[in-house]
Amino acid sequence: MNNGNTTREITLTVNGRKRTVTIEVRRTLADFLREDLGLTATHLGCEHGVCGACTVIVDGATERSCTQLAVQADGREVTTVEGLNGPNGELHPVQEALRDHHSFQCGFCTPGFVMAIHGMVEEKKAGRPSPCSRAEIREELSGNICRCTGYQSIIDGAEAALAAGAGKES
Amino acid sequence: MAGGSAISGLVGARVHRKEDRTILTGAGRYVDDVQERGMLHCHFLRSTVAHARITGIDVEAARGLEGVVRVFTGADMSAITEDLNFAQPIPGLHSPAYPAIAHDVVRYVGEPVALIVAESRYLAEDAAALIEVEYDLLDPVVSTTAGLADGAPQLFEDVPGNVVHADEQLFGDIEAAFAQADHVVTDSLDQHRWACNPMETRGGVATYDRGSGQLTYEASTQTTHTLRFLLAGWIRQPIHQLRVTANNIGGGFGLKFSIYREDVALCAAAKAIGGTVKWIEDRNEHLVAAGAAREEQLTLEAAVKADGTLLGLRVTMLLDAGAYPINPPATVYAGLVRTTLPGPYKLPAYQFSHKIVATNKASYISLRGPWAVETLVRERLMDKIASTCGISPVEVRRRNLITLDDQPTKMVTNVTLECVTAAETFEKMIGMVDLDEVRREQEAARAEGRLLGFGVGTFIEPAPGTQEFWAAVGFPFGAEPLRIRIEIDGKVTAFTPQTPHGQSHETTLSQLIGDELGVGMDDIRIVYGDTDATPFSMLGTGGSRAATMASGAAVYGARELRTRVLDIASHLLEASVDDLEIVDGIVSVKGAPGASVPLGQIAMGCWLAPDQMPEGTNTELEYVASYDGEGGGFSQASHACWVEIDQETGKVEVTRFLVVEDCGRMINPAVVEGQVVGGVAMGLGGMLLEHSAYDAEGQFLSATFMDYLMPSAPEVPEVEIEHLEFESDKVISSRGVGEGGTVLAPAALLNAIDDALAQVGRGRVMATPVTPTRMLELLGVIEKA
Amino acid sequence: MKPAAFEYLSPTSIEEAVQALTDPDDGDTKVLAGGQSLVPLLSLRLAQPARIVDINRIPGLGEITESGGVLTIGTLVRQRSAEHSDVVRRACPLMAEALPHIGHTAIRNRGTVGGSIAHADPAAELPTVAACLDAELVARGPRGERVIPAAEFFTGFFTTALAEDEILTAVRIRSAAPGTGAAYEEVSRRHGDFAMAGVAAVVRLDGDVVAEARIAISGVDLVPVRAGKAEAALVGRVVDEPTLVAAAEAGVADLHPSADLHGSAPYRKHLAGVLIRKAVRTAAQRARESR
Ligand SMILES: Cc1cc2nc3c(=O)[nH]c(=O)nc-3n(C[C@H](O)[C@H](O)[C@H](O)COP(=O)(O)OP(=O)(O)OC[C@H]3O[C@@H](n4cnc5c(N)ncnc54)[C@H](O)[C@@H]3O)c2cc1C
Ligand code: FES
Ligand code: FES
Repeated sequence: MNNGNTTREITLTVNGRKRTVTIEVRRTLADFLREDLGLTATHLGCEHGVCGACTVIVDGATERSCTQLAVQADGREVTTVEGLNGPNGELHPVQEALRDHHSFQCGFCTPGFVMAIHGMVEEKKAGRPSPCSRAEIREELSGNICRCTGYQSIIDGAEAALAAGAGKES
Repeated sequence: MAGGSAISGLVGARVHRKEDRTILTGAGRYVDDVQERGMLHCHFLRSTVAHARITGIDVEAARGLEGVVRVFTGADMSAITEDLNFAQPIPGLHSPAYPAIAHDVVRYVGEPVALIVAESRYLAEDAAALIEVEYDLLDPVVSTTAGLADGAPQLFEDVPGNVVHADEQLFGDIEAAFAQADHVVTDSLDQHRWACNPMETRGGVATYDRGSGQLTYEASTQTTHTLRFLLAGWIRQPIHQLRVTANNIGGGFGLKFSIYREDVALCAAAKAIGGTVKWIEDRNEHLVAAGAAREEQLTLEAAVKADGTLLGLRVTMLLDAGAYPINPPATVYAGLVRTTLPGPYKLPAYQFSHKIVATNKASYISLRGPWAVETLVRERLMDKIASTCGISPVEVRRRNLITLDDQPTKMVTNVTLECVTAAETFEKMIGMVDLDEVRREQEAARAEGRLLGFGVGTFIEPAPGTQEFWAAVGFPFGAEPLRIRIEIDGKVTAFTPQTPHGQSHETTLSQLIGDELGVGMDDIRIVYGDTDATPFSMLGTGGSRAATMASGAAVYGARELRTRVLDIASHLLEASVDDLEIVDGIVSVKGAPGASVPLGQIAMGCWLAPDQMPEGTNTELEYVASYDGEGGGFSQASHACWVEIDQETGKVEVTRFLVVEDCGRMINPAVVEGQVVGGVAMGLGGMLLEHSAYDAEGQFLSATFMDYLMPSAPEVPEVEIEHLEFESDKVISSRGVGEGGTVLAPAALLNAIDDALAQVGRGRVMATPVTPTRMLELLGVIEKA
Repeated sequence: MKPAAFEYLSPTSIEEAVQALTDPDDGDTKVLAGGQSLVPLLSLRLAQPARIVDINRIPGLGEITESGGVLTIGTLVRQRSAEHSDVVRRACPLMAEALPHIGHTAIRNRGTVGGSIAHADPAAELPTVAACLDAELVARGPRGERVIPAAEFFTGFFTTALAEDEILTAVRIRSAAPGTGAAYEEVSRRHGDFAMAGVAAVVRLDGDVVAEARIAISGVDLVPVRAGKAEAALVGRVVDEPTLVAAAEAGVADLHPSADLHGSAPYRKHLAGVLIRKAVRTAAQRARESR
C-alpha cells in the first residue's frame, strides 16, 4: 500500500503502449489522457458522466474517463480512439461504417460514439447480449449525447457496424 | 456514396465528407485540444447571486497560492480593457455597456467576478475557492412581467423601466380587418428558456507575442472576422496586430455568433501576462452563464372570415433579454419575429408590438432559427382558427397559403416572395398522409384508452433571405466573398470567411468547385477560420447563408479561374474554348482526348513564367469572388407529427415525424438530411425536455446535464424526409436548411399534442416545456402544484 | 470542474481499508467504489474530502454467490456484471430487472452494486430493491462486522446507517421463493435518468390469493419507502383491478413527495400510484406463470 499522498506513480497500458508515470492523484483519467499523454481525441463534454464524449475502453469494457481518477487505471489497459486505426492510419471498420453513413457533423461527440459502438460490436462478437433493432441500438447509445445529428445517421452507421462486425474479426 | 476522387457530378451526390477522417479518428483540433509550451489556464469565479452590489473582493489568498500566476478582479480588468458595448444607432434601443468582469454590480448568477490564471485548471479552481466576495443583495427581476411592474428593481440606470426596446409597427388597415371579421380568434403562448448547448462549450486560447506585439486568438467561434473586429477595440489591440483563428468547432447553433466578455478578459489577460492562456468553459459554467434563448411571451388576435380566411393579425411579444446585450442587438430578434411571422400566408393587415425586457438572467442569445417563435405561434393559431371555423387544419392552410401561382407577391411586411413553395411542400406532405386513416387510428386507440395526436405545420425560412427582408429586420445582408487559387501543381485552395462547425462546408464547397474546375475532391482544400488568410465578412457561419452565399462565391470564383485556364488552353491546344473540357485535372478537346494539357502544367506556367504564357491571357490564378445572392431567397418545409400521450404518466412519445422540405438544389443530400434531422431533434427536445430554469430568487436550477435534459437517441424519433427540389433560374438555386427543423418541429409537435387534448375535451398547451407534469395537469389528471 | 486536492489511499485488504477510515477519524474520508456518483461530485466540488479510500483493489469484494437460499453480492460487483449474472437473474429477478434502468452501459460497467446502495439516492433503483426485499447490508468497521437490515439502513437523504469508519462489504438477499413474481417499474424523463418515481414489487401467491406482497417506492421521499398499507391491501386478495386500485391508493396516501424541475409533488404521488398498479399487476402475473 502506498502512503496516502497527493501524487503517485502508476503503470498502465494505453493503446498498447505500457507507461509508467507519476501523476497527481486528483487528476481524472480523461485529463491524464488528454493533457499528460496528448491523446486529445477523448473529449470532455460535461465532466460529470452524462454525455459520453469521454468514453474509452478499459480492460475491454466501455467506461467514462471523466468519472474515474487516473490513479485508478494503475495496472489496467486503456484504449482510446487513437488506438483504433490501422498502422497506416486506415479507418477501423466501425469508423468506416460511420463515415459511409454520414453519421456526424461537428465531430465533438464522435470519439465517444466510436468507442461506444466499438464496445457494442465487441460485445456482440463475444456472444454477449447485444442490441438488434434500431430501437435497441438507440437505447444502448443513450449514454452518448450528440447535439448536431438527431442520432438517425449515427444509428444507421451503428447498425451497419454491428452487421459488419458480426461477420468479421478486427 | 462516391469516394473522394469523383471527377464530375459531385454536386447532388452523397459524397463522403472531407471532414470525416479527421473527426472519426479524433485528430481534430478543438480549442481544449490546444497545448502550447508554457500555456496557462484560466478559470472565472462567478457570481452566486442574481442581483447585488459588490462591496468587497479579497483575492490575496488566491494570489498567494503556489501555481497561481495572476488574479484579475473587475477593477484590474477594467484598467486594461474597454467595456463591451454593442450599442447601435437604433432608435429607442437601450444597450448598456458593461465590463468584461463585473466590479460594481452583478446582474445574474454566473456573471464573472474574477479571473484566475494559473499553471493548471485544477490550481485555478483551487484559487477561486480562496476568493471572498462580499455582496450587498438587491432584489432580482426574474420575469418580464416582474421587470415591467411598477416599482420593479431597475437593472441599469440607462435602461429606464428595464425596457431595452419597445416598438409597434402597423402594416395595412388593421382596423378595417377587424371591422370585417366574422370571428376574432385569440391565442397566446409562454415559451420557456432553453439553450444551444453545443457539445463543445465556449473557449479560446490567446497568445501574446511580446516580441512582435501580435495577439493570436484561437477561438471556438462562428465568426472570426467579427470577433476580431470587436475584440481589437475592447482589448486596445491594433487590429492589424490581431489574428483570430478557428479550427474544429464542436457546434455553435447561434451561441458562438457573438463575442463574450470571457473572450475579452482572456485576450486581455494574455496581453497583460505576455504569453499563452487557455480557457475552456466547463459544462456547469456553460449552462449557468453562456446564455439561453427563446424566452418569449406572445399574444395573438386574428380577424378571420367565417370560411377561415385571414383578414388581419395583431401580435404582442415580450422578450426576456436577460441582463446583458450581446451581438446582434435584441431588436434584430424582434425584427425577425415581426417580419417573418406572416409566413407563407396571405395576410392583408398586421400589427406587431414588442417589449424587450432586461432581467437578472444570463443573456438572451441566438439559437438555431432565433425567430422561431413566429412559426410556433402562427401555426398554432392556424389550428385554432380551423377549429373556430369548423374546418380542418389542412383546409385552413389551403385557404390561406400563398402558392407558386400567386408569386411574385409581397408579404404584408413588405418582403417580396418569389419561388416560395411552402404551399407545395404542404400539398406534397398531405398527399403522403392518409388523413382519414389517421382519424380512424385515433378513434380505435381511444377505444382502447390510448391517446394519439396528429399535427402539421408549414413555414418559410430566410435562408439566406433577401435584401428587402433583412432591411425590414434591421440587419445587414452583405455579399459573401471567397478567395480561390489554382496552385502550382493544379490543385485548388479556396479561402472562405465561413466558420463551419458541422455544416460540412469543406465537403460542399469542394463539390461545387470540383464540378466547375474538373478536379477531384481530394485535390481541393477549403481554408477557413483564419483572419490572416480568409477574406473579410461580418457574418461567418450563421443564418443559413452558406448554401446560397458561400456556394455562389465558390462557383463564381471557380468559373472565373476556369475561364482563364480555358483561355490559355485554347491557345495551347489551338482549339476553341467552347470545345474544351476539364476532367480530372486535364484540359482536353472534347472528343479528342489526345489533345490535352494538364491543369498543373498550365498552372506551373502561370505561376513561374507568366510572360511565356500565350499573349493576352490572364495568368493570375488567384481570384477573390463575391456573390450577392442574386436577391437571395427562402427555404420552406412542412412537417407532420404523430404523438402518443400516456395518460397515466404524462409522457409524450413522438411516434412518427415527416418532413417535406425544399431548399432548392441539394449540393449533398446526406448533408441536407443531417441538418434536417438534427434540427428536428433540437426542436422536439426544446419543447419536451430542455429548460434553463430559474427560481424566484434568480438562482439557476439546470446547472448540470442531470437537470438540463438534452435529448438522447431513444427520445428522438426516426424522421422521414421528402425533398422537393424546386430550382429557381438563379445560378445558385441552393438555399439554407440548417435552422428550419428547429423552427418548425415545435409547431407540428404542439399541434399534435393539442389535437390529442381536444379529443378528450381538454384545453390546449399554453406554456412550455411540455413536461409529463404539465401534460397530466392539462389532462386534468393531477392538480397544478 | 476539477476535483479539489485530496489524499488517496488504495488499500489491498479490508482491514487496511477500515484502518484508513479510522485514522485520522476526522470524518473527512470518503470511500471510492465505482466512482460514478462520487467522482462527478468531486469534479463539481460538491464533495471535497481530505482523503479518499479506493476500495477497488481489495480482493474478495466482487463475488456473487448463492448458498442456503441466500444470495450474496459483494459490494464491488459491477452493476453490469450483476445484470448479466445468471445467478442474480434466478435468485433475484427483481434486481435483474431493476439494474438496466441505472444510467447507461458505460456507467454500469464501472458503477458498483454496493456503491449505489451506500450512496442512498432516494430515486435510485438498488436501494429500492434492497428496501423491497428486506436485504441485509453487511458492513465492516473497526468493531468488526455487523449486519444492517435495509429497513434501518436508509436513514435520510443520501445518508445511511453506515458509520464513517464502516465499509459496506456485501448485500444479502433471500433467494426468490417459488411461486413469487417480481417487477420493477419506473418513469424517468429520459432513458437512463434517475426516475421521477419507481416501484419495486414482489408478490407471492397462494392459489390465486396473495400470500405475501412487498412494495417499495423510489423518488417520493428522502429514502426509498416501503408501502406497507398497499402491501396489506393486497394480502389475502385476488389481484384484480379493484384490488390494484385500492392498493395503489393505500400506497400513496401517506406520501408527501417534494417537487423539482422534473416532476411536481402531485405528479410524483400520482405516478407512484400508477406504478404500484403496474408493478403489482406484472409481479402477480409472473407469480402465476412461475408455477
Ligand atoms: C449519467 C449517470 C446516470 C446515472 N443514472 C443512475 C440511475 O438511473 N440510477 C442509479 O441508481 N444510479 C445512477 N447513476 C449513479 C451510478 O449508478 C453510481 O454507480 C451509483 O450511484 C454509485 O455507485 P458507485 O459504485 O459508482 O459508487 P461511488 O460513486 O464510488 O460512491 C458513491 C457513494 O457511496 C459511498 N460508497 C461506495 N461504496 C461504498 C462502500 N462499499 N462502503 C461505504 N461507502 C461506499 C462513497 O463514499 C460515495 O459517497 C448514474 C450516474 C451517472 C453518471
Ligand atoms: S465528459 Fe465524460 S461523460 Fe461527459
Ligand atoms: S456531431 Fe456535433 S455533437 Fe455530435
